[in-house]
Amino acid sequence: MGTDEVPLDDKAKRMRDLLSSFYSPDPSMPPNSGNSSSKYATLDDINSTSFDPDQYMNILATKSNLEGLLQRHVEMAAEIKNLDTDLQMLVYENYNKFISATDTIKRMKSNISGMETNMEQLLEKIMSVQSRSDTVNTSLFEKREHIEKLHRTCNLLRKVQFIYDLPDRLGKCTKSEAYADAVRFYTGAMPIFKAYGDSSFQDCKRASEEAIAIIIKNLQVKLFSDSESMQTRAEAAVLLKQLDFPVENLKAKLFEKLEQSLTDIKLNPEEINTASVDPSPFASAHEAAVREFVEAVRAFRVIFPESEKQLVKLAQDLVTKHYVITQEYIKKRICSADLLGVLRVIWSDVLLMDEVLQEASLPHHSVEAAKVAVKLYVSSVFSHLLQDISDSLLKKDGAEYSLEVALDASTKVVLEGSINALLDLHKILDDDLGLLIRLRELTIDWVQEGLQDFFRQLEDRLLLFSGRNNSSAIQDHGLTEGFQGDKAFPGLILVLAQLSAFIEQTAIPRITEEIASSFSGGSVRIHDSGPAFVPGEICRKFRSVGEKFLHLYVNMRTQRISLLLKKRFTTPNWVKHKEPREVHMFVDLFLQELEDTSSEVKQILPQGIRRHRRTDSNGSSVSSRSNPLREEKLGRSNTQRARSQLLETHLAKLFKQKVEIFTKVEYTQESVVTSVVKLCLKSVQEFVRLQTFNRSGFQQIQLDVQFLRTPLREMVEDEAAMDFLLDEVIVATAERCLDPIPLEPPILDKLILAKLAKTREQNTVSP
Amino acid sequence: MQGGSSGIGYGLKYQARCISDVKADTDHTSFLAGTLSLKEENEVHLIRLSSSGNELFCEGLFSHPNEIWDLASCPFDQRIFSTVYSTGESYGAAIWQIPELYGELNSPQLEKITSLDTNAGKTKCILWWPSGRHDKLISIDEESLFLWSLDVSKKTAQVQSHNSAGMLHNLSGGAWDPHDVNSVAATLESSIQFWDLRTMKKTASIECAHVRNVDYYCKRKHIIVSAEHESGMHIWDLRKAKVPIQELPGHTHWTWTVKCNPEHDGLILSAGTDSTVNLWLASSSSNDELKTESQVDSPTPWVDPLLNSYTDYEDSIYGLAWSSREPWIFASLSYDGRVVVETVKPFISKK
Repeated sequence: MGTDEVPLDDKAKRMRDLLSSFYSPDPSMPPNSGNSSSKYATLDDINSTSFDPDQYMNILATKSNLEGLLQRHVEMAAEIKNLDTDLQMLVYENYNKFISATDTIKRMKSNISGMETNMEQLLEKIMSVQSRSDTVNTSLFEKREHIEKLHRTCNLLRKVQFIYDLPDRLGKCTKSEAYADAVRFYTGAMPIFKAYGDSSFQDCKRASEEAIAIIIKNLQVKLFSDSESMQTRAEAAVLLKQLDFPVENLKAKLFEKLEQSLTDIKLNPEEINTASVDPSPFASAHEAAVREFVEAVRAFRVIFPESEKQLVKLAQDLVTKHYVITQEYIKKRICSADLLGVLRVIWSDVLLMDEVLQEASLPHHSVEAAKVAVKLYVSSVFSHLLQDISDSLLKKDGAEYSLEVALDASTKVVLEGSINALLDLHKILDDDLGLLIRLRELTIDWVQEGLQDFFRQLEDRLLLFSGRNNSSAIQDHGLTEGFQGDKAFPGLILVLAQLSAFIEQTAIPRITEEIASSFSGGSVRIHDSGPAFVPGEICRKFRSVGEKFLHLYVNMRTQRISLLLKKRFTTPNWVKHKEPREVHMFVDLFLQELEDTSSEVKQILPQGIRRHRRTDSNGSSVSSRSNPLREEKLGRSNTQRARSQLLETHLAKLFKQKVEIFTKVEYTQESVVTSVVKLCLKSVQEFVRLQTFNRSGFQQIQLDVQFLRTPLREMVEDEAAMDFLLDEVIVATAERCLDPIPLEPPILDKLILAKLAKTREQNTVSP
Repeated sequence: MQGGSSGIGYGLKYQARCISDVKADTDHTSFLAGTLSLKEENEVHLIRLSSSGNELFCEGLFSHPNEIWDLASCPFDQRIFSTVYSTGESYGAAIWQIPELYGELNSPQLEKITSLDTNAGKTKCILWWPSGRHDKLISIDEESLFLWSLDVSKKTAQVQSHNSAGMLHNLSGGAWDPHDVNSVAATLESSIQFWDLRTMKKTASIECAHVRNVDYYCKRKHIIVSAEHESGMHIWDLRKAKVPIQELPGHTHWTWTVKCNPEHDGLILSAGTDSTVNLWLASSSSNDELKTESQVDSPTPWVDPLLNSYTDYEDSIYGLAWSSREPWIFASLSYDGRVVVETVKPFISKK
């Protein structure tokens, strides 16, 4: 039982402790007192030295019940019995030991008594041996001294012999190319030469120095010879160093040589890419050269271990040089395949060099440089595209400048050019070259940024073509100059307008698609400002620019006609006008201008749907409800018929809806021509209002207007507005006429027919 | 547009081109308008805005012998004004006085103070001394510029000096610099010319196509606004006359006339043959230095200079006048004889 075992153990332990304390000299310090005394050092501990039986009894009596006391009593009795037996055993054992010890002492006493005599004899003998040995030693001393002297001389002689032999030996070594031995010999002899070289061993020294000079020379040759293996060269370098030869010089020389070999490794992008065979001869030659360089570098590092810095610089310079050449090359308008070819070569060079020169961190260096190169390439691609577009717009070989061709060419360039550019750039992304993979995200960003910039610049360029009209500064001059200057002639403006519309409606969506499919996820900066290419913004820009151009075109055309009209209406004295004989020739010029316009427009703009706009009027308008005063006024005119005719036009106007005159110009042939016609007719009206007419003047205007009616109707999309404006011209003239009597219709018809006949005649003659 | 309905209308009987603010009338906001009728009896209307500001009434109606092409009110006497008229074949100019007690007469006749006859070409316009009582007048005809000295009490006017603009030039109008009374701007076919009245010599010119009308800023020196037929409006600094400091798009058709607000620089009205009146706010700052700086880095927030477009007109608008008494009010006159008075207050307060 566990509970019984522990007290038993306790008991045995206590026993042992007690016994050992009994035997030990100091009872207060039992062997393991530190442990046990601290454990049982309580008042009721029966084993402690400060045990107080009365107190123990008291505690026991107060703490335990009768049964416990009885049990304790039995335990105590058993313990005391045990102690008694143990005590008896110990007494017995000690007694036995005592008996055997007495026996031993007895034996020792008898043994020691015979030993003293033996000892004395031994001392005597040792004394005699010592004296004999001393005599031998003194007799041999002289001889030994002699021998030692001889030996010393012999050594000296051998050394001298070595020195004298040194030149020969060195010569032999030179012959057998055992330079290492030679150097060892020489350096060994060196102290002697230093001490006695000036006196006794002069000749010898000179000879050996000569030999060494030869060796040095040989070693140098060895060092510089490319044919030797690297180890030998390295050894040579080490040996030279041991000979205290100024190695730095050699190093510089060798380094120069290395640099020289570098100049041979010149990147020639054209040759990389012109070769038809895949590993072009240049590329392989280049690679060989680079390999050679790499080997040289490796050797150099082995030979001169502290030369890293220089080498690193050298390699970095090489890479930098490569990229400088590449950038030059990029300026020459290349395709991405070419660029990739070049980059590939450079990257392989870099990797080769990286093997030997990791300290140079060439790949990193190269990536940085490649960033610049790729960025440059992206921007160059777009700038070339811009140039192409400008060229296609301004191409003028020969006098013929067909707007249609220009438009076709430019739209084609814009769309295909940009798509091709993107495809081209996409090749850079597709390439698995390690260099480019690192640049992928950046490249995407650059492409997007580039595209955005491209369109921004394109807009500026277009505005520039349109006669610098964004700098309002010189606009007036621009407009007047525009007529002679080759930059902003109306046709070009029209092409620009249509081109802008095309970019907005076709090119941008297409390019956006392309971007989305191939260049998405460039994201280095996506979080701070979103993707760099914002088609919405571009579209908006081009829409407004296109409208601006269209407007400008209409204005330019109108201004030309306006000049014509101004001349027509301000020059003659209308009050003294003669009776109309024929349709005035300004009509021809007017129609001719319109003809020019519409022929230009037809080349460029799509045909619109012909329709009559009489609907909602949100634009500004001119009165169609005519003033009753006017009728009243007309009512007084003399000829009844004429009056009724005029009245008719007025009444007709009354019932027409309000006609819009200044509507938004659209990208259709008709809309543009109509706008021009409307603006011109409105100008005619205004010019007329500034004059005063006599009857004939009025009739002349009536005739001209009547004649214009038919051809204009052919051209214009909005007949109602045109008719209205023509009527307005007549009304305005009538109002400004002192005597507004219209021509009789038969005369009107006759004159018009005569004019038509004449025109026909001219047409048959002229072409 | 919103401005259309707020205007107060008044109908002249006939077609009309010119309206002028009666500057000398400090008690009322009044305008003078003259009709342009070839065959009818022409009239000059003295129109007054009621004190409540919501009604226009005819204060006086006077017959004028010929159709009126230009009309300007005397800046110091509300009863005096000048007209340029046409008899159909020739043009003339005269100074008129509204008779006293005109309200009591049945058909009051204008008293002609004097006529400004030059025997030269077509007179285009008359300019009064910009402000205050002064006897100087300028008349501009097609070829030359005349400086007159007017004596109202003696009813005479004498040519003090004149000079011809040159054979090929064709003057069309002008403006008297309110800041430098010796300087007058005259418009030509393709330029604005500046004349010094002391020497009667041309001092400078601005190349500018198809100028129709010019007006000076009233509070700031050296700034002039031009209205051009085809290409909108330009604001020029006379000290740097090569390049306009701002360009405004003007009107869909011709921009006919332009008037600067007498109080607020940069607040400009223009009227055109597209039957609209546009209210512009030119980008201006009180400080010239600031101005040039802001021009340099001007892509700063671009604001549409067009504050409002009044479109409620039936015909081309040739007449336009700010009221000098209440500088937020202007009158416009369209060809069909309709005078519309509008207020620009909502747009000023916005600033």
